[in-house]
Amino acid sequence: MLKKRLIGVITVKDGLAVQSIGYRRYLPLGKPWCIAENLDRWGADEILVLSIDRTEKNIGPDYKLLSSLAKAKLTTPLIYGGGISNKNEANKVIHAGADRICLDALLHERPRLVREIADVLGVQAIIGALPLSKIGDGVQWYNYRTKKSGKFTDELIKLFSDGMMSEALIIDWKNEGRLNSFDDSIIKNVPFNVPQIVFGGISEQSQMNKLLACGSVSAISVGNFLNYKEHAVQKIRLSLSKQNIRSALFESD
Amino acid sequence: MLNNLELKYCKRCLYSTAHPLGLTLDGEGVCSGCRIHEEKDTLDWDERFEKLKALVEPYKCNTGKNYDCIVPVSGGVDSYFIVHTVKNILKLNPLLVTYNNYWNTPLGIKNLANLRIKFNCDILYQNINPISVKKITRSTLRRFGSVYWHCIAGQTVFPVQTSITSRIPLIIWGGHQGIEQVGMFSHEHEVEMTRRYRKDHDLMGFEADDLLSIFDTIQEEDIWQYRYPSDADMNEVGVRGIYLSNYVRWDPKEQHETMIDQFGYRTTQFDRTFDCYDFVDCFNYMNLHDLLKLYKHGYSKVTDHATREIRHNRITRNQGLALVKKYEQSEIKYIDHFCNWISIKPHSLQWMMDAHRNPKYWSESSFRKWNFNGVSKQRIEVGSGRDVVDPSFIVTDDDRFDFTITNYITIGKGYL
Repeated sequence: MLKKRLIGVITVKDGLAVQSIGYRRYLPLGKPWCIAENLDRWGADEILVLSIDRTEKNIGPDYKLLSSLAKAKLTTPLIYGGGISNKNEANKVIHAGADRICLDALLHERPRLVREIADVLGVQAIIGALPLSKIGDGVQWYNYRTKKSGKFTDELIKLFSDGMMSEALIIDWKNEGRLNSFDDSIIKNVPFNVPQIVFGGISEQSQMNKLLACGSVSAISVGNFLNYKEHAVQKIRLSLSKQNIRSALFESD
Repeated sequence: MLNNLELKYCKRCLYSTAHPLGLTLDGEGVCSGCRIHEEKDTLDWDERFEKLKALVEPYKCNTGKNYDCIVPVSGGVDSYFIVHTVKNILKLNPLLVTYNNYWNTPLGIKNLANLRIKFNCDILYQNINPISVKKITRSTLRRFGSVYWHCIAGQTVFPVQTSITSRIPLIIWGGHQGIEQVGMFSHEHEVEMTRRYRKDHDLMGFEADDLLSIFDTIQEEDIWQYRYPSDADMNEVGVRGIYLSNYVRWDPKEQHETMIDQFGYRTTQFDRTFDCYDFVDCFNYMNLHDLLKLYKHGYSKVTDHATREIRHNRITRNQGLALVKKYEQSEIKYIDHFCNWISIKPHSLQWMMDAHRNPKYWSESSFRKWNFNGVSKQRIEVGSGRDVVDPSFIVTDDDRFDFTITNYITIGKGYL
């Protein structure tokens, strides 16, 4: 049985790693490569770097950032998201050192291009990011550029149902950055069956246990909270020792 | 500059997005540091202090065979307030640890001696082989324009090493610079000491092993004392470093004045800032180190001090800017002390320093004539001479660092 994963998330804005709170408030953290290097040493299963301002500014992927991450000689698989708008850019991101890519705006605006990227990179390299919130009886995805929520389109559902992405990054965007606040009813209302990486307000052992027990959840991801304490990744692993995840490792000399 | 942003200024304080720790502005143009500072007036600090009491309780050594915690100290900054809080209020038995940076002032030596005597604490001094310290200082000055790397590396690693060797898990620090200056975390995040923060911010991205290079003379025997302990060793002892400023409403001016009054902390005037309390223990912090900060980042310590005072509502922003303009370009002192110590000629030192002037803030109009266009010059507001106010800092010792001393006190047992 495949183990479930613990993913460390680094949110990057204007080249600076930040704490992101509810998709609207940002606190500075430091150098993305330094945080990635630390997550690598702590033994995260994957590192997800999200450059959140690249698409909005229409400035393409952050190759400078990817170059700095490459210099950090990470051994942990790297996922990159931000500013990817076509298959050439997706390809360049992989050549710059990312193992997988994460797409958000493109899923909604140009789903045809997602299929093209999948043809080039393979679906295993593509994750679809879905910032969601519970509205009424269902969930709606949040367009961070227009600041509006909308229903899933048939085209989007088909994209996932056709297996064009290996996993969906389910983000509780309203609770992002808030301790112990992930709304787990969101994951039950996603209208397609794709392995889910959950993110946004996940900080406590009880939450993680509950989420990892869900069959649809393949990984939990944590961002801000990993920066508050030493050995945060190992401490999560120790607290989840009964779950199907890797055990904690502490680097020795 | 850490980030890709164009230079933008906070509407309340004197910081810009060029702050080396990183700074964000919100939709109202107010910086993350000012926003987090607002918590100082909204949080229930009595409740937070009760949290601190509960946090430290399990670390009390009931057998009396070991210390309860480690407190890193010096002859300046917030040492008195931290030890006072730990020993007199939390009723812990701390082991004080101090890294000797070799640039000690007579005032710093006096303050440290008075600290251990008044608070009746044991203290450990770490003296690294000065030949290695000088090699490291030459290298860090040349490579990244810092003479202070060894001081910060030593101050931040010696307590952690002592925690492991003496098996005292709890380390208690004072203020968290990232929170105080740029609002990196909320106080409620209760952030703790991490190796990542140390490397990222304190050490500018360079740990001890990053100094080793085939193009340099530094060897492993020079840097091993600055190595951070392994994760396995840290975990085995359960090392944990907490910051008092997450549990106490942090106000360095008020705290220092209480310490002057109650415990005889001694202060002096500086040429490059109005704050008389912070770095009285070091010849170089408010001189050579401060000038390098101005060269690299386009602002100096007086901007940090003025911003802090603006946030505490003790001066206005224009008054703060006027203070910055008054002090920022003051000549530095004690260059001969440094040149003698490190065996370098003053013009060679200046040549190395000039290599680190940030072209965003400095332009060379003619040979060795530099024009400054730093953060204070780029601001639209005018803090003029009329705005200069006396920020009312208490000076206990008028003789600065004692000009009769022509060299650093490299080892000072202490006298009162």
